[in-house]
Amino acid sequence: MSTRTFISRLAVGGICTAVALSATACGAGGPATTSGSAGTNTVNVLVEAGGHAVLTGVAEQCKQNAGVDVNFVELPYDGMFNRLSSEFSSGNVSFDVAALDSVWLPSFKDAVQPIDEIFTDEAKKDIFPSLVKEANVDGHFIGLPAWTNAEIILYRKDLFEDTKNKADFQVKYGYELAAPTTWKQYQDISEFFTKDGIYGTDVKGGVETEWLAHVLQAGSPMVLDGDKVVIDNAAHKEALDFYVSLVKDAPSGAAQVDWAAAQNLFNQGKTAMTRFWAHAYRQIPADSAVAGKVGAAPMIAGSAGIGGVPGPWYLTVPKATKNTEAAKKFVQCAYDYNDKGIESNLGLASRISAFEKYQDKEGYESFGPLIETLNGEATATRPATEKWQQIVDTVLVPMLQKAVAGGDSATLLADAKKQIEDLLK
Amino acid sequence: MRVAERIKHDGGTPAKAAAAPSLPPAVVRPRKRRGVNREGLEAGRRSTRTLLWILLAAAMVLYGFPFLYLLFTSFKTPIDTIAVPPTILPKEWTLENYTNALGRIGVLASFINSIQTAIISTVLSLVLAVPAAYGITRYKTLSGRIFIMAALVTRMVPPVAIGIPLASMMGTLGLSDTPIALSIAHTTISLPLSIWLMSSFFEAVPKDLEEAATVDGCSRLGALWRVVIPVVSGGIAVTAIFAFLASWNEFLFALLMTAIRSQTTPVVIANFQTQFGLDWGSMTALAAVYSIPVILLTLLLQRKIVAGMTLGAVKG
Repeated sequence: MSTRTFISRLAVGGICTAVALSATACGAGGPATTSGSAGTNTVNVLVEAGGHAVLTGVAEQCKQNAGVDVNFVELPYDGMFNRLSSEFSSGNVSFDVAALDSVWLPSFKDAVQPIDEIFTDEAKKDIFPSLVKEANVDGHFIGLPAWTNAEIILYRKDLFEDTKNKADFQVKYGYELAAPTTWKQYQDISEFFTKDGIYGTDVKGGVETEWLAHVLQAGSPMVLDGDKVVIDNAAHKEALDFYVSLVKDAPSGAAQVDWAAAQNLFNQGKTAMTRFWAHAYRQIPADSAVAGKVGAAPMIAGSAGIGGVPGPWYLTVPKATKNTEAAKKFVQCAYDYNDKGIESNLGLASRISAFEKYQDKEGYESFGPLIETLNGEATATRPATEKWQQIVDTVLVPMLQKAVAGGDSATLLADAKKQIEDLLK
Repeated sequence: MRVAERIKHDGGTPAKAAAAPSLPPAVVRPRKRRGVNREGLEAGRRSTRTLLWILLAAAMVLYGFPFLYLLFTSFKTPIDTIAVPPTILPKEWTLENYTNALGRIGVLASFINSIQTAIISTVLSLVLAVPAAYGITRYKTLSGRIFIMAALVTRMVPPVAIGIPLASMMGTLGLSDTPIALSIAHTTISLPLSIWLMSSFFEAVPKDLEEAATVDGCSRLGALWRVVIPVVSGGIAVTAIFAFLASWNEFLFALLMTAIRSQTTPVVIANFQTQFGLDWGSMTALAAVYSIPVILLTLLLQRKIVAGMTLGAVKG
């Protein structure tokens, strides 16, 4: 057979197979389902790719103990909101449970069912207070926090414990070098370690959460106080000035630094400290320059105390699912076997008892600081408005980028207030 | 014959010029100048060719570098992939990223889905574009002209604007999460381009060919099938490649319309970037593997593509 004939036959064979498979409406995964898996004990769970790992252990336990089979639909974060909008608005959903980022809860509150029965008194005590509050929308609990996160302080233990560094720091600043607990200490330590090709910290102009945590620490609600825009108040300015004050001790190009860049810088040993999500502690590559040399501490405190912005994901049950019973069973499993998420590579959960169970174990040193931050007196969730993502993308991040590039904080905050008020009209 | 004329007649070769006896210097001068011109011309050609090669090499580097960087990154260790500042070559070569990427659940199925979707979409595009383009070019009616312009309208609308309604429609038709639904969506992208491409190829085929076939007893369809289509087969190959690539690399519709059964590889590749981190190594490894079928296809059809692209170039 000539090559040409072979290629032609191969092409014809391929086309026939593809057409035949499409005629049966099959993908490589098997026959298609339209909306969830109606009336069965199989549930389709829509989850962001990173969260899949956290729920895998839960799914195994759920199958074993509750007889619920789980199919995961993994999607990238950037596309999930569009997908959810599309399916919720059509009323024809392909999933029975959806894991929602906390900022999306207000947008989809009308498309999901109440799951009040899961929030027993015992459950409410075992979930961080800010999350219990956020899960309750218009008097009903609509999402179970499957896992949560918050920014803590990660620092280079080897540098902090170095005898010469300790002595030099004591001489220069008049107090002992240790993990920072206040803004002033964070500034001093950042300045101290900015030498010999290392920077004291990073400053992330590409993301807003960290600055918002400082706003909470300064004693103000984030951006909105009820319906009132308070972004131009003294606490916001104080937090922004503190944020910008660290630019001199951070790698250049702060306006473009986001989570990935900051994590890389720290893992490469370029920064002595970072304020970062707690899960990063367990994700330091084994061949990293800083592996085994990292310590964890709670988020720093301002005048209002320790404050962080929790980053929970909520399991919700769409109103349009035809498999509510099995879906709710799975959500209950996610509460009952919540600690299974900790054993995943992401190492996160949402129940206080789950974190406490592991906090003294080797490799989980970040859990103590995480619990302390999540329980911090100034810790609060993001404002519950459908426009929040829009506010972040079009106002807060551009404002921060201008601020770290040298813009006047008062003017920037005043402009931001006007823009937000226009968005909320 | 005067010397100058003889030189012209002889082609001005130095040997023939030398054979001319007692040539006055004034007459020889032009011969010498012509010799210099030829050398200059040769040198000019050489430098033009060198310049072209340099430009070609620069263009190749410009286009090829991102792919080479992706390829090299796929062989780096996890810490190397995120090095600051980045390195081009791996410090240590490893296949770990390929093991991770290909070992991930659903990757093989996504490859099959991508192939299946791309083939169906390509076939659909060709089946619809070939007769449409033939009709438009041969009948040259006002409605045909309006149709071909209108076909471009779908290319002018941002895909996200039609993606969500399309996903809803597929759901209503009971085609959610199937390769056929995604193929239909992809055909909306490739069909306008296919019609335009095929129209230009059909334009290049002389009508005389068809008329000759008709004289020999072919019907209009017979002439199309037996004479015109073989002539534009290169063009069909080009169109098929474009349609295949449009589907193969498409992300947005795949994101909106697929779930467990029909998720394609671009979505799986994107899943390596999560809210909790970016697995560069695995992402680049899977992207490198995913590009192999397209490279092979292009190489296999290379001659047809070149033939298709030059089709009509000598139309006169």
